[in-house]
Amino acid sequence: MKNRPLFLLGLFLAVLTSWAGFVLGSHGQLGSLTPFFDEADGQSHPARLPGLAARGQLVYADLGCAACHTQQVRRPGFGNDQARGWGERQSVARDYIFHAQPQLGASRLGPDLMNLAGRKPQAPSAEELHRLLYTGSAAHPAFPFLYETREIAGESSRHAVRLTGAAAPKAGSEVVATERAQTLVAYLLNVNSGFDYPEARPLPAQSPASPEAKK
Amino acid sequence: MSYPPTKAPAAEVSPFDAPARWPLALLAGSALVWLVLSSLLALVTSIQLHTPSFLADCSALTHGRAQALRETAFLYGWAGNAGVGLGLWILGRLGGHPLRALNWAVVGTVFWNLGLLAGMVGIATGSMTGFSGLQVPRAVQPVLVAAFCAMALPGVLAWAGRKREGTYAAQWYAAAALFLLPWFWTATQAVLLWSPLRGVVQTIAVSWHTQSLVSLWLMPLALAAAYYIVPKQTGKLLPGYESAPLAFWTLIVCGGWSFGRHLIGGPVPAWIPTMAVVAQCLLLFHFLVVALNFRQVFAGGSLTLQYLRFGLVAYLLTGLLETITSFRGVGVHTQFTLLVPAMEQLTLQGALSMFLFGGLVYQFPRIIGRDWTLPTFVSGHGSLYMLGVVISVLSLGWAGLAQDALLNHSQTPFAEILVQLKMPLLLHTAGQFALLAGNVLLLVAFLRSAASSCCREEGAASLRPASSAS
Repeated sequence: MKNRPLFLLGLFLAVLTSWAGFVLGSHGQLGSLTPFFDEADGQSHPARLPGLAARGQLVYADLGCAACHTQQVRRPGFGNDQARGWGERQSVARDYIFHAQPQLGASRLGPDLMNLAGRKPQAPSAEELHRLLYTGSAAHPAFPFLYETREIAGESSRHAVRLTGAAAPKAGSEVVATERAQTLVAYLLNVNSGFDYPEARPLPAQSPASPEAKK
Repeated sequence: MSYPPTKAPAAEVSPFDAPARWPLALLAGSALVWLVLSSLLALVTSIQLHTPSFLADCSALTHGRAQALRETAFLYGWAGNAGVGLGLWILGRLGGHPLRALNWAVVGTVFWNLGLLAGMVGIATGSMTGFSGLQVPRAVQPVLVAAFCAMALPGVLAWAGRKREGTYAAQWYAAAALFLLPWFWTATQAVLLWSPLRGVVQTIAVSWHTQSLVSLWLMPLALAAAYYIVPKQTGKLLPGYESAPLAFWTLIVCGGWSFGRHLIGGPVPAWIPTMAVVAQCLLLFHFLVVALNFRQVFAGGSLTLQYLRFGLVAYLLTGLLETITSFRGVGVHTQFTLLVPAMEQLTLQGALSMFLFGGLVYQFPRIIGRDWTLPTFVSGHGSLYMLGVVISVLSLGWAGLAQDALLNHSQTPFAEILVQLKMPLLLHTAGQFALLAGNVLLLVAFLRSAASSCCREEGAASLRPASSAS
């Protein structure tokens, strides 16, 4: 520790190695991933998010939805993500190449949202999502500031949320989804990882390490 | 045993401390204000876990934003300010000269805190970056790095211009922390904000940054305080001190590698979680040496030593639990559950904050030249905080275990899981309440001491000739 420049150089190199190894290393490995062109259906996967949904991702990020929701499905046999109907296969890096900012999340106080539109047995509709966002539930906060209550002028808005019971607005008014709510719901219904990439398939059951294969 | 913990013998107020008094008090004071704010926000987020409708109407405090605000106030506001204050002080004292360029530190502190304030307003109004651990809006981040460099300057000068050739462990940790933060934060900003990498590489970069923030910046500052204070308080040499350099380099080299334990089973290359297992096993050596070095804290009875003792136990537990949960077979159960925030609280509030409190409680009387005016408030803080950490960590751990059973091993509908966890989550709120109450006590004690020191500036100044003569 007596040698001052050597000490600082050591610190610098220690972090440089770590940064280059992890960040640049994984960038080298994954940074050039391209969409997968499927000859069977003549399309590339994943598709870019539609404009409305791409803006919804910003709303998702600025509300901090990732504090309680993940967007990553783990492989079969690792946790019970499949049993919960969150996705048939594990999420792979290629799923995220068009996400401006992947929101993998680290907490599952709420369900995984990677594959909401392909949820088994039944995917929620936009209407149900709006209702949940507006009224909340015992386990989900409400986001009333994403909606505005206003007088019905002439025809009812096509973005009005159909509400019943205590949450329903008084007669002559309606609860309308703001643009932010619309983009958020569009985003949630478009994050989808339905396509079966080759790298997402589980390894063959007979791995070379298993005793049967050795025989 | 009966040694009054906060008593600052006049002879200990070295002539080095006098010019640094108000710059360091500014750092400590802003740290405590952020601490109270972050514990208030932690109370809000913990209530929201069992009562989601709490403050849901308020867009600035919706759960996701309140979490980001709490995290920012805690990491950058409380731990950053307090750690830098202690680091500068230690480097100045051990460097053998009064701290130089302190006006840089003052300007840096002011801009750091203003920047954080702007960042908090940005998060509350919807400009947060969405990168966990790095939520401050992008426009503010370069300001924070620049402000940090200004804050750290006196420490770097004290390290580079030190009188003695030989150095102490406290100096390595403090100097490393001051040097490394601007380096890795700039690197992270480059790949996340200015020229974003593609897809999940962003997640890898931000996890790496968050881990480095704790392992390469905050923990070293806290350990520097402990390495400085423990021998002074116990009056004995640190046992096993010859291994301390190796422990230091183990932390610096491997500290940033262990972030992959949060990414097991995720869409990242499989070698990243594997490297986390390797790093955690290597870091066991670091934890072992730290345990050996500090084992005398179990003998002493002063309040500073009580803080450090609690911090040490929490630090070692953290090391052990993180190693165990980095293995995939265990991690598959703990991942995504409340066990992760439980361990995070153990690290940040159990280990990190306790070391910093030990440092502050020891440092503050020595820089203002008089004892704590309200020692009962300080010891009250100690008891409440320790109680709060134990309750919070245990209740979150309980909730996490129950959540793992419901989430991973049953078909309980999702909406019911959180409802079934209500009991431990209510307990967690109680723990957060104790933390908040304790922190308010400490802030009041700090303000009283600082105010009475201002009133008796002459009295404090008269200590200077006495101490320089000694």
